[in-house]
Amino acid sequence: MGGSTQQGSQGGGSKFADDTLRPVTIKQLVESDEPYPGAGLAVDGIPVTQVTLIGQVRSVKPQATNVTYQIDDGTGVIDVKKWVDAERADSGATAQFAPDTYVRVFGRLTQFSGKKHVGAHFIRTIEDFNEVNYHLLDATYVHLYLTKGAAGGGGGGGGGVGGDAAGDGMFVDGGNGAARQSAGGPARLKMCGRNAQSLFAYMQRMAAGDEGCNIHAISQGMGMSTRDVMAAADELLGHGMIYTTLDDETWAVLDY
Amino acid sequence: MEGAATPRVTASYLSSYIGKNVIVVGKVIQLRGDEATLDAEGSINAHLNRDAHLAVGNGVQVIGKVNPDLSIKVLTSLDLGQGVDYNLANTVAEIAHQQRSIFFYD
Repeated sequence: MGGSTQQGSQGGGSKFADDTLRPVTIKQLVESDEPYPGAGLAVDGIPVTQVTLIGQVRSVKPQATNVTYQIDDGTGVIDVKKWVDAERADSGATAQFAPDTYVRVFGRLTQFSGKKHVGAHFIRTIEDFNEVNYHLLDATYVHLYLTKGAAGGGGGGGGGVGGDAAGDGMFVDGGNGAARQSAGGPARLKMCGRNAQSLFAYMQRMAAGDEGCNIHAISQGMGMSTRDVMAAADELLGHGMIYTTLDDETWAVLDY
Repeated sequence: MEGAATPRVTASYLSSYIGKNVIVVGKVIQLRGDEATLDAEGSINAHLNRDAHLAVGNGVQVIGKVNPDLSIKVLTSLDLGQGVDYNLANTVAEIAHQQRSIFFYD
């Protein structure tokens, strides 16, 4: 145990408060890399430390300080080290997991001289096989959340995971553009900057009718400089989400 | 690493994986000696190895190589008992094919 936390703090800069428990596929761990040296390993561009994964035990190697399992979830294989607790060593050999059993692992992804492994805090066998599939969907959901943003349109996103038919709309094959188009306005808004997003929300709230809102009214209402409003509006114009009305400095939300 | 990956598939995907190792989760429909018929969104013939312990009506996960006739030469099998959500397993295979970046090596 001591060994794993030590390694983790070296790699991740010991910002334990930032740690989240990410459900991942093993392929994601295998392909994780450091954005720059010393940054810590990242999956989907976001640093990853605590992970949970599922897989079948492929081999068990008891060693002096730990038991090393090779875990395979069909997407890849990774070493998982469970450190032997010296104080509890006398309570019989640490429970070992037989080859081919499905296990769930909670642990910390670490890299040691170029080789990645998971330092396990806890491993347990999976009693209900469906948990394997739940986990894979979980990992997919988090991956999509981090790469494409929260599910657009609320209910639509939730249904996508469960039903096959709805799933087709939600999970378009790698085509970012298509996914965003199908989700409509709110999804496109995610590609805009923060100012543009709040400007859009403000204009929707004001609902100023056909004439739209003037730059000075917006600037005053939102407490933003006219230059910032102009930049944000340009962004929204570029995405075709608003249009100019009376003059170049008055816009209305494009509803369709 | 790439060699270790075994995609999760259903019957309809088999033709794309001839000669490769795959994972199939299905229900055992019939057992005939060392051959079994599984159902995973379509029926699949599986050629079992010696240490397979399957039971008709139970769920099973097989890992094996896809033959040219779309049967599977089983390398390992795992009896999953009752209570397997096949719909869920099929959906996962489907989603794995849509989110290739976190499941497959292309």
